[in-house]
Amino acid sequence: MNQRPFSIFSLTEDQAILLLETPPEQLDDPADRYIAASQLVNYPSDRAIQALIKALTLPVEDLNSRIVRRKAVETLGYLKATAALPFLQERLQDEDPYTVQNAIWSIGEIGCPDQPEQTIIGEIIALLSNERQNTRLIIQTLAKLKSTAAVEPIRAFMQADDPAIAGAAISALYQLAGEDTQLPRLVEFLQHDSVNARRSSIQDLIDARCYDAIPKIIQCPVSIAFRLRGIRLLAEAGMPTEAITFAQLETALDITIRDHPQALALVHEYDQPPSLDFVIHELYETDFSRCYLATQTLLELYPEVAPTALITEFQQKARGDYGAHYHVIKLLGWLRYQPAYDLILEALHNPAPQFQKSRFAAAIALGELGDARAIPELKTYLDNPVWALSYACLLALQQLNVAIDQAIFDTDTADFLVRAKGLRRFASSR
Amino acid sequence: MKSVLTTVVAAADRAARFPSSSDLESVQGSLQRAAARMEAADKLAGNYDQVAQEAVDAIYKKYPNGQGKDIDAGTQKDKCKRDIVHYLRLINYCLVVGGTGPLDEWGINGAREVYKALGIGADTYVTGLTALRSRGCAPRDMSAQALVEYNTYLDYVINSMA
Repeated sequence: MNQRPFSIFSLTEDQAILLLETPPEQLDDPADRYIAASQLVNYPSDRAIQALIKALTLPVEDLNSRIVRRKAVETLGYLKATAALPFLQERLQDEDPYTVQNAIWSIGEIGCPDQPEQTIIGEIIALLSNERQNTRLIIQTLAKLKSTAAVEPIRAFMQADDPAIAGAAISALYQLAGEDTQLPRLVEFLQHDSVNARRSSIQDLIDARCYDAIPKIIQCPVSIAFRLRGIRLLAEAGMPTEAITFAQLETALDITIRDHPQALALVHEYDQPPSLDFVIHELYETDFSRCYLATQTLLELYPEVAPTALITEFQQKARGDYGAHYHVIKLLGWLRYQPAYDLILEALHNPAPQFQKSRFAAAIALGELGDARAIPELKTYLDNPVWALSYACLLALQQLNVAIDQAIFDTDTADFLVRAKGLRRFASSR
Repeated sequence: MKSVLTTVVAAADRAARFPSSSDLESVQGSLQRAAARMEAADKLAGNYDQVAQEAVDAIYKKYPNGQGKDIDAGTQKDKCKRDIVHYLRLINYCLVVGGTGPLDEWGINGAREVYKALGIGADTYVTGLTALRSRGCAPRDMSAQALVEYNTYLDYVINSMA
């Protein structure tokens, strides 16, 4: 299940098709056709699909025309356009590896029905021996297509040097042939030095439906977005069949939404106590293991001076940096810094999508502050479309010992995890 | 970190051989372009904030008649700018190194899978970086040779993200 990509642009179907079909030399901005091909993901109509297929057949003369074709290939996958399969198959031989990559992904999304199946899958398997191609994606797609013919070709990659490739192969062999002896390595990769390997291993464990790995996934030092996504997708896959129950997930989910660094197994450490300035600067790192280490260090070494330093940092820089913003809000909560109440409340209500994580952080921080003024604010979001925000508000209200009407959760529109949490909480408090 | 130099030496070492003539030619080519790369790196380092701002402005200038979502929100612009600055910094490292290693290792490997998993559309970045690609001007911004080097890495990022 892939969600459609978020975009700040918003074109109508007519506008997007018109732009896509306009000769490049007549456009002011070379990126316009690319945006149009991206935007058609929102219009699953025959018209849109035909326009995208037509875009595949146009000549590629430069970078701009290449990326338009590539995006059209990908959008057809999002639209699950079966009619596009023959055209996507042609693109498996494209000279641009990223176009091939998108074609493979899109074929995986659409599936390969009927007779052409063997040919297409055969071509994809053959690409495993092409070093220019994305081996990880090829393996993932073959597993998704349930290709038993791919088992032996994939097996060789279980020992690949690249953990992202080895992980995909281990996961695929389990999915396709039930081979589980190598699965513990996927769990080991959760603690790999490379953040890319750590993120990849979560995906591989999701694909293999490794419910037993959830306690390790929640300790993996990557952004909360990846851990939450992992638990969520495993819950969606396993709860309907009772392969896993909410009761088994609940603690993991609570810990992840709270996201205290002590709950993580960090892969970095300092060789000497760092300065306050240094650790604050670390909150901007793109490897979140470093950010969590900095958070933990601020709590342990600088609990007295950290709050004012963080407020200063927030006003000067972190306010606009969605990574550091999250960690600063969390820290102000862990430090129970009451003067930050208004600032945290502002973060709770911030609708900008890139600051969405900070809203979960703000809810948890308000729970930590223990200020009763936050109660009505938190209640506002108990049935929010952003499920993790609702869940975080529920945890915060629980911390504030607030009674909640169960009717909020006992509806068809409530998210299944929020509903399960809310109703369990009600049942246990009765 | 991968560069032309380290790649040549590593390949030679793997085969326990001396670098070949073609190896040395590629190193020589990289060294000859070093001055242009350093000029581009220096100009970019001194001006990255404004360059990133121009990319962000180009993104938010599009479809300003109510078709975008909250396109005037300052916070959204900040998000874009953070990411554009990140890529400009990696481009700067590439100019210094003379190879795509920094972009590959810190900006590109795994990024496509992450964007797809998290539902992040690349069209914003592609629009911003394409605007920078069109905007660069020699000799106003830097010498023609330096601009070629800079544009090479801009193209590399656009190509890998799009």
